[in-house]
Amino acid sequence: MSSDITPGTEIPPWHVAAVPAEKMKVMALILSDPNPIHWDVEAVRRLGLGESPINQGPTNQAYVINALLAWLGDPTRLRSLQVRFQANVYAGEAVTAGGRVEQVRQVDGERLAYCRVWLRKGDGTEALAGTAVVRA
Amino acid sequence: MEGAMTVPIDQLRQELLEYEFPPGSYTITEWQHWLTMDAILSPPLPAGIAHPIYAYLASIGGMGITLPQLFAAARSSAEAGVMFGEATLEFSQPLAVGATYRVEGRFLDVVRKQSSRVGTMDLVTFRLSLLTEDGTLAATSTNTFIFPRRES
Repeated sequence: MSSDITPGTEIPPWHVAAVPAEKMKVMALILSDPNPIHWDVEAVRRLGLGESPINQGPTNQAYVINALLAWLGDPTRLRSLQVRFQANVYAGEAVTAGGRVEQVRQVDGERLAYCRVWLRKGDGTEALAGTAVVRA
Repeated sequence: MEGAMTVPIDQLRQELLEYEFPPGSYTITEWQHWLTMDAILSPPLPAGIAHPIYAYLASIGGMGITLPQLFAAARSSAEAGVMFGEATLEFSQPLAVGATYRVEGRFLDVVRKQSSRVGTMDLVTFRLSLLTEDGTLAATSTNTFIFPRRES
């Protein structure tokens, strides 16, 4: 695997066919997150944010990590992940996490791959985008 | 959090930079890790290794204050429609299921901006560090939350 990671290498797409609303409730408890937009449609409407519960940002971030884990097969190779949240992901939406290796550099004796990563919705909108650094 | 009550940005910055997070810690329990893996649709992981998203979950869960208390420190509340702007996770070592981590937190900055959609908003950045029981840094989680300051 390591020698195969070069600039231009694609991170295999990782799909969610329909983001499940039920999992948002579990995450609200795990996060102790009192924001009602994750389970209360009325709250989402009241704030003018849409018509369905909104997935937690950390869950969207975790989807990108899942794509990296499925690609690398070893969670200990992830060095960092920086993301900017750009659009809400709603219950029932399809999303795809993926990315591409932009650079491979030797840093402190370690071969590191700098990857542009994203989570895209069905219409191509990027729900989040950023940079992952992994041991190549 | 109406416009008339929006705190001056310099005052808010001073309050946040002087804010002291109380001591906190977090244990990544096996049952909660299982539920998290299920909720985030994680692929299988090697035994004993926690999903990397725990750099966020454990630091937020063990920062010594609740999210509503963090929102209150930023002069806001969950009802204001707080949004997640940016997040950075950095790992010095993998996180372990069953391990307890000490959490150290501090606010780094606050920036006030205008948005055509949201109006006035404050971007508050804070960093949480996860340390092992012997004090070794395991991971950091740096987050920017967006606090709308709705103008009347």
